[in-house]
Amino acid sequence: MTATSTWRWADTREVVVTGIGLALPGVATPGDLLGPLPAQGGFNPATGLIGRELRHKDRASRLALRAAGSALHDAALADADGMFTGAADQTAVVVSTNLGNADSVCEAVDTIATAGVTGLSPLGLPQTSSNVIAGWVAIRYRLRGPNLTLSNGTTSGLDAVAWARHLIAAGRAEAAVVVGVEPRNHVVTKILGEQSTDAAVAVVLETADAAASRGARPRATITGYARTRNLTEALASTSATAEGPVGLWLTDGAESAGAAAGRLLETARRIDLESQLGPLSGALGVLQCAAAAAHLASGATGSVLATAGGPRHGATAALLLTPPPARLPSTQERGQHP
Amino acid sequence: MTWDITGMAAVANIGATPGEIFASLCAGQESRAPLKAFDPDKYRAAYAYEIDDRPEGGGDLPRRATRWLTTVVRQAAADAGLGEDLARVPVLVGTTMREQRSLELWWRDGAQVAPEDLHFGTALKAAFGACTTYTFANACSASLYALGMATDMIHLGMADTVVVAGTDAATESGFGTLDRVQNDLPDALRPFDTTHKGMLMGEGAAAVIVQRTGTGTEPVHARVRGVSMNCDAHHATAPDPDGITRAVRDAHSRAGVRAEDIDLVMLHGSGTPLNDATESSVLRHIFQGAGAGPRMTAIKAMTGHTMGGSGLLSLMMAVLAMQSGTVPPVLGLSDPIPEAAGLHLVQGAPAAVDLSLAQVDAFGFGGINAVAIVEAAR
Repeated sequence: MTATSTWRWADTREVVVTGIGLALPGVATPGDLLGPLPAQGGFNPATGLIGRELRHKDRASRLALRAAGSALHDAALADADGMFTGAADQTAVVVSTNLGNADSVCEAVDTIATAGVTGLSPLGLPQTSSNVIAGWVAIRYRLRGPNLTLSNGTTSGLDAVAWARHLIAAGRAEAAVVVGVEPRNHVVTKILGEQSTDAAVAVVLETADAAASRGARPRATITGYARTRNLTEALASTSATAEGPVGLWLTDGAESAGAAAGRLLETARRIDLESQLGPLSGALGVLQCAAAAAHLASGATGSVLATAGGPRHGATAALLLTPPPARLPSTQERGQHP
Repeated sequence: MTWDITGMAAVANIGATPGEIFASLCAGQESRAPLKAFDPDKYRAAYAYEIDDRPEGGGDLPRRATRWLTTVVRQAAADAGLGEDLARVPVLVGTTMREQRSLELWWRDGAQVAPEDLHFGTALKAAFGACTTYTFANACSASLYALGMATDMIHLGMADTVVVAGTDAATESGFGTLDRVQNDLPDALRPFDTTHKGMLMGEGAAAVIVQRTGTGTEPVHARVRGVSMNCDAHHATAPDPDGITRAVRDAHSRAGVRAEDIDLVMLHGSGTPLNDATESSVLRHIFQGAGAGPRMTAIKAMTGHTMGGSGLLSLMMAVLAMQSGTVPPVLGLSDPIPEAAGLHLVQGAPAAVDLSLAQVDAFGFGGINAVAIVEAAR
């Protein structure tokens, strides 16, 4: 009868990644995340954040809409007009952001100080609430399932992927669009103490059965997750070892130098996305998930561990991803995937 | 499956415990107060429903929402006999604004605020050793969304005990922009009355302990029968009858109840003409032909709109109403809007009624809706 805060998902539905979308300068494809960065190309905010449907929206929402649209196309869940073709009532939106509306909040305070409330724009009302981004994504694609915004610090992106999976496991949704987004602006720079990049990434999650029935290609399976006191506990809680060797460790650098990881991770290749892209805050964990999916979709062996947080952040989150079902020996059809 | 509520705590403008708040609602004395949080010269709105714990002589402090949160979590945990070590207990916090008020004070006045203070996990770790903590920025349905996800965690075998909470302090950006968009400014929050003009902010926090049936050691206050959550996907700030109807019907379905089984509805009742008309019309349709229909009340007339925690606060008031057989009136309601004709809104004085099943509504910006069904523990 003891309460527990850790879990694995062996008893519930298998949930896979079937789409990835990026709106990230210097990163053109998810596969780029695995190589040296910054690469050439990628998203150009100067030309990519304009357009009729983006009018009157805050920068984070515009970035998120671009990434979500790209992920839905990648998952083959959008038609030629960019409309959602899946089960709208059964599709959740889960957004991770810590600083998405910080500029709107601070600019409103400045305006009130200089001009009073009559100086404010009534169009700014939605972004006074921290969930503005998830609302716009739902409205754009008519996604009427549960709609969640995680603003949970440095682990937020990994937490968002896990909660999207929980919603599917609990039967509240058949699919979820998970978005990690942080905008680049003067308020965010002041908060972080350094300049950051515009970053938006979206992944589509759905059950392996749903993906199979519509012929979608699964890139990775979301296999385990924990948010606990430290990395050692997080690794134990996700049962990372039970899924075989960890081939890739997506770390945020916070604990990678410590001995806590032990032998489990010493052979794994390490990628610290923030060391190459700068601070990613709420976008980090979703971007790690995208990188993991790209790695696993390329036919790599071993599982992928993504971690964020550490002692300074009060908790460590870990997300374990494994090869998608079609490539598991038990379900593989020989000759189909050369 | 049902879930036990074994601990409750709350703070708002009209009381520092659920019992005090309930007594104030039943007493029905006007509770709005002149705006103190911000420089009144900058605003047209003159009233709010603040928690009056700021320093004498003006000025504001950062992390008030966090302080209320840790207070109610401590009290709710004690009520459930959990003690102060929550290292193994998930804590799910629903909020509209997070610590955006602290961000404002940092930006404008140079208050000492770190990025880690924007979410509540930092303080929950310091106070209770809690690590499995989540800040859900889910607008004004946030704490009922969190309740629904707590029931999912228990259902999926991830936990036996979950702390669910909500907290919000008024922000200048939010209060100011609401002031800007409300043409005919309200001087009080008057849900469902023909004199209603709009919403005014309140402040507060609420926490409950949710446990797998039979897990707890303390008496059960009430049982959660089911919680729905969805999104209108219709408008950024305006409600949509279709989305709300789906949320109510899904809640009934999850709870395994029919409309005629509901004895009490705690209305969202934000006092905006659009919310009140939409919620009334939906409920008239839902409860049409359901016998005499449930009693209905709305607490924001006295607490103001406490945002993220408001759904959980309404739920706690439903629990106390079922325990005492008393439904507090809607303060200031004397002439209901035409859309509410036929709804049993409690007016004037508390109603003495035998109650065993309550519906709790919470709707938020982004068109996100959550509806909970709670049952008296007998």
